[in-house]
Amino acid sequence: MARDRSSPEDFTRPVRRILVGLLVLVLLALFLLWRIDSPRVERFRAALVDRVVPSFSWAMLPITKAAAMIDDFQSYARIYEQNQELRRELQQMKAWREAALQLEQKNARLLDLNQVRLDPRLTHVTGVVLADSGSPFRQSVLLNVGARDGIRDGWATMDGIGLVGRISGVGQTTSRVILLTDSNSRIPVTVQPSGQKALLSGDNTSAPPLEFLEKQDLVRPGDRVVSSGDGGVFPAGLLVGQVAQGVDGRLRVRLAADYERLEFLRVLRSHESERIGEPGALIPPPAAPMIGPEPAEALTEDSAADG
Amino acid sequence: MAELAPPMVWAYRGLFVLLAALVLFLRLLPLGNLAGDWPGPNILLCLAFAWVLRRPDYVPALLIALIFLLEDMLVMRPPGLWTAIVVVATEFLRSRAALARSVPFMVEWLMVAGVMAATVIGYRLAVTIAMLPQVSLAQSLLQLAITILCYPVVVLVSQLAFGVRKPATGEVDAYGRRI
Repeated sequence: MARDRSSPEDFTRPVRRILVGLLVLVLLALFLLWRIDSPRVERFRAALVDRVVPSFSWAMLPITKAAAMIDDFQSYARIYEQNQELRRELQQMKAWREAALQLEQKNARLLDLNQVRLDPRLTHVTGVVLADSGSPFRQSVLLNVGARDGIRDGWATMDGIGLVGRISGVGQTTSRVILLTDSNSRIPVTVQPSGQKALLSGDNTSAPPLEFLEKQDLVRPGDRVVSSGDGGVFPAGLLVGQVAQGVDGRLRVRLAADYERLEFLRVLRSHESERIGEPGALIPPPAAPMIGPEPAEALTEDSAADG
Repeated sequence: MAELAPPMVWAYRGLFVLLAALVLFLRLLPLGNLAGDWPGPNILLCLAFAWVLRRPDYVPALLIALIFLLEDMLVMRPPGLWTAIVVVATEFLRSRAALARSVPFMVEWLMVAGVMAATVIGYRLAVTIAMLPQVSLAQSLLQLAITILCYPVVVLVSQLAFGVRKPATGEVDAYGRRI
């Protein structure tokens, strides 16, 4: 391929090479900056997502709806089997409902006995899922509520039933929820009947494993897993899922939240718990009350007499 | 160089931006890729490589950097690293675009597969060095394989639908210069 020397590209080539080198250096510098001072870059990222993604939403809505319709149509096609299935489930549900009602009454009685006051400040904001993060290796969704609605980093997010994830990254009108299945997610949990504490750490599979269990023997598949509230980030007692044993013998958690249909999520307003900073100090007796009129009062009476 | 580019080239640059936006948009749709699913192909990478080997002037380095940086930002990757690797890879291919014009497609595919593997390995290495959480090796190799398999499809669509093909010998641009 003989190029003629009159082509202007031949003269600009070395300059171009330097410029491209500079570009690569700038990009690597950005990466280093992110590695060193990630909150600032992440804030920039949240602002960028805040700007870009809502502008897509007008197009996202119809496509998402259309996909949902196709899904629905597929289920419509096997309506008979579904009907049978639903009947069977309904039978089971009736039995469960009976059990639940009894348990509820029992629970109410026990709560009354203990005079437990559930946290009255646990209120929630509901948001609509705007977008998936998209990458197969990052499990997170974007919500359409953000700093404007008072959302803060670290708050827990639930769907109707179970814990979904935690807020990580808040823009003005959007916020990102890191799902429990993401490989960056670590949540302290309690396994219910035995009270064993563990860490639920996401690993990009649909059933994240339980780590740092003290006594594995006390935990059986089918046990309830709830958040433990250790570390003060999460409210305690939110349902996470059920213990299940994976094919590799590890204890995993089948999540209660329906990850296939994340549409509306509740963001729980959690308030920072009070910290106990000091070791116990000596409690002095209350100061003894003074006898006689206070000096300030005496003074005013004097001035009133003068006048 | 850029200010001399004829309007046709600018149209194709716009088209590239449009296609990239479309790919990103499809990725962002809340259709949910569940954890543990098969990772989809990296279409954007295929597109950049296919175009840079066919018409390097349609995809200047700055454009590639901007688009991949936006992708980095939107899909929560460490910003800048993947972009830098892709820019280096496309520069490597760009300097061999003239060579790629004279070889059959199989050879070009092999070369692209090698470069893609190098980008993935380089990225994993850099992430390891920076001590960041790493995607499992099996998953990223699977994605690499799917991406390599997707490359001919992207090339075919680029050629048939958008007319991005290798210039024939002696073809001239709007200003009468040899391409």
